[in-house]
Amino acid sequence: MMMMLQQAMSWGDVLMGIDPHSYAALGVAFAIGLSVVGAAWGIGLTGASLVGAAVKAPRIRSKNLISIIFCEAVAIYGVIMAIILLNKFNSGSGKSATVTYQDHFAGFAIFASGLTVGLSNLACGICVGITGSGCALADAQESSMFVKILIVEIFGSALGLFGVIVGIIQSADGSFQ
Amino acid sequence: GFPEALVRGMRSGFLSDQDYHHLTQCDTLEDVKMNLAETDYGAGVLNEPTLTPLIMQERATEKLVTDFNYLRANAVEPLGKFMDFITYEYMIENVMLLLRGTISGRNVNELIAQCHPLGMFKESTMRTIPTFEANARGYAELYEVVLVDTPVGPYFQQYLDSIASGVSVAGDVRNVLEEVQIEILKHSLMKLYLEDFYFFCKSLGGETAEIMCPILSARADRNAINITLNSFGTPLNDPTMRETERKNLYPSIGDLYPAGLELLSKVDDDQKLGAALNAFPIYRTIFDKFLNLSPDEFSIDDEFYRKEVHLCEL
Repeated sequence: MMMMLQQAMSWGDVLMGIDPHSYAALGVAFAIGLSVVGAAWGIGLTGASLVGAAVKAPRIRSKNLISIIFCEAVAIYGVIMAIILLNKFNSGSGKSATVTYQDHFAGFAIFASGLTVGLSNLACGICVGITGSGCALADAQESSMFVKILIVEIFGSALGLFGVIVGIIQSADGSFQ
Repeated sequence: GFPEALVRGMRSGFLSDQDYHHLTQCDTLEDVKMNLAETDYGAGVLNEPTLTPLIMQERATEKLVTDFNYLRANAVEPLGKFMDFITYEYMIENVMLLLRGTISGRNVNELIAQCHPLGMFKESTMRTIPTFEANARGYAELYEVVLVDTPVGPYFQQYLDSIASGVSVAGDVRNVLEEVQIEILKHSLMKLYLEDFYFFCKSLGGETAEIMCPILSARADRNAINITLNSFGTPLNDPTMRETERKNLYPSIGDLYPAGLELLSKVDDDQKLGAALNAFPIYRTIFDKFLNLSPDEFSIDDEFYRKEVHLCEL
């Protein structure tokens, strides 16, 4: 392609010109990287409120660790997904010199799967963080509020699970030749 | 985050209606102590052999100051600046207390013990304030030596600039004002402080502006009305003084600004003050009560205070 300078390059050429292995590597990076950002942000939000509310109401400490565990679960989804994707990510048999259709498919599948999981875990982590912070504050005022707000958190953490399910289906067929 | 959770915890530590109900049913001081033992104030009064109102007030103020400083230590900007603004008011009051105390010749240590803890300067600063004279030159020296480093320095600076510019005009009446100079200083400082605080809250916008600006406006109006009321019968009430000196003391924020303040600066007795307030129903009702009832039944300060508390509770 470099020699055909007379022919106009299109975006399609640019995107297809990138090696599928780099797409796959980026996918793995997004899967774990964005998930951890979401989990960390969530734990930061919840932890700050938890510690502050526990100054005046120490009884809430143990129960509200559940919120932190929900946020941590988001990071674990990201790790699991990244490991699954890494298993698909190999250099192939190394026999063919040209990039085949199968390789392109694998590259795109792993990239998209990683992006799906990463972005949905990012959103899920922040969501659970904000809700967990509210849960700690409400629990400090009124003990009966804890269980009710926990339900909101459970709905929030389901979002991450949706992302993982879709990601697994997306990357199921991809494998490098 | 963390400061928000702290504030919520402290808020739920206030005494509730039920607590007050129990307290009113106590017969002896021991009962009062027992009732307070479960609340946040319990730790403060537990070891006191006898419980007087003064001790109660001291302990409650201590608790307030401890909580306030804890919160201030954990606050980020702009919450930190907001809390600092709250302390400036107490700082101004403390400076005034020290200056006034020196005029009456009281002991420095006594005065320092009486200062409000939220507005304390460093120990050395506190001791040097009473050594200055209470006239214009004394204030300039006080500012240059001591107050320029404190947060209330800018307010002094502005006040000194304003009297320096007017000194040629008002030079001959300065002697008349020797006694009232302290009060004028205090009112000018409060005016500058209130305006500063108001514009700060406005610049923060959102809920801060919505809630704080009415409170500060009410405070400014209350100050303006009080200044006018207290000036009847003093040299400040002469027609010449009214325009220049008294008008300068009115803050430029609040419902009464600017039209009401124009009217206020022209009145010289209660009836005319009432007429000037006609356009502002809230102040009109308060002032009517003031005119009609005797001072035993009604105190205008209490009414204003009640209104301010009502605004704070919302």
